[in-house]
Amino acid sequence: MGGLSSSLHAERQKRGKHSKRKKRKRIGFHLDMTPLVDITFLLLTFFMFTTTMATPQVMEMSIPPEQVEIEVIADQLLTVMLRADGQIFWFIAQDEPKKVELKDLRKVYERENLREDVKNKLITILKIDNDAQYGNVVNILDEFNLAELFITQEISKVPDEEGNPTERKRRFTIAKLTEEDLEKIQSL
Amino acid sequence: MPKVKKKRVGFVIDMTPLVDITFLLLTFFMFTAKFKTEAESEQKFFIQRPQASADTSKLPDRDLAIVKIAIDTVTFDTSYYFELVNEEDRRMVWANTPNIPADQLTKAQLQVDLSLLNQLIIETRKVNSKTRFAIDADRRIRFQWVDEAMEALRKGRATLFNYVTEKRQ
Repeated sequence: MGGLSSSLHAERQKRGKHSKRKKRKRIGFHLDMTPLVDITFLLLTFFMFTTTMATPQVMEMSIPPEQVEIEVIADQLLTVMLRADGQIFWFIAQDEPKKVELKDLRKVYERENLREDVKNKLITILKIDNDAQYGNVVNILDEFNLAELFITQEISKVPDEEGNPTERKRRFTIAKLTEEDLEKIQSL
Repeated sequence: MPKVKKKRVGFVIDMTPLVDITFLLLTFFMFTAKFKTEAESEQKFFIQRPQASADTSKLPDRDLAIVKIAIDTVTFDTSYYFELVNEEDRRMVWANTPNIPADQLTKAQLQVDLSLLNQLIIETRKVNSKTRFAIDADRRIRFQWVDEAMEALRKGRATLFNYVTEKRQ
């Protein structure tokens, strides 16, 4: 150690103001970056742990302004019912309700919407029991939205009178499950 | 004679690349960070949003009114809450609406019942007609709560609204 310090001392003397030695230009100097890194890491970890990446998204809904009666052709009406226990039933017009699993609902919805006789005319009504879970409702709406992609694509393949791809007219409404509706599906 | 190996005291590591990448990440996280809104920091509940498939539409930052239906984490009571994002609109709507409890007037988010919710929706539409409405409900609640909120929106002529959802993983 003594050697080291004495050599440093010697060097300093040489470099001193009065030394005749030409001053060397210093290339490449070291800056102690440790505090900088410390604070940066601190901030980085703070921001990393506090950010939430998943921003909420939205699902658009529209409801008719007032309770208006609309005349519909029975054959063009698809009813989907959600019972309080989460079971889903569907039927066309006045048919018998049929039970369907959530994962099969999309297939049913696509098939019924693309049937030749009701293509692009089908009205969907989703009837929900007051005691059903809101999460289940959104699951069904999500399935419909996913099916809509395929339906829109299929419908646009057929050109309309002007030769443009046919525009998908989606008709959908949401309603409460009434007493008589409930009677139909209660025992299923 | 073997050379005496000098013991190295104080060595230097080049930290420049480390600093580079850290700063890069830091700036990224700083700019993407979104802090809790005033209303969110006040609330005593956490909404478990229903999950939906990936959608590109996001909740707007401005001109937004949110009807929250949430379960209180302490008492497990379900209740309606009303939040207005625009601060100026909020001040006006709060002032124009009678029946707001005095202790809630300064809050960014009101705990409301159905009749007050209805009044607030109507006032909001008067103050700023561009306001978009969203229903942010917990996925565990009964649908009746949502249905009644929708009825309130219908009465306030806000027939186009959004359900707030979360991306399904």
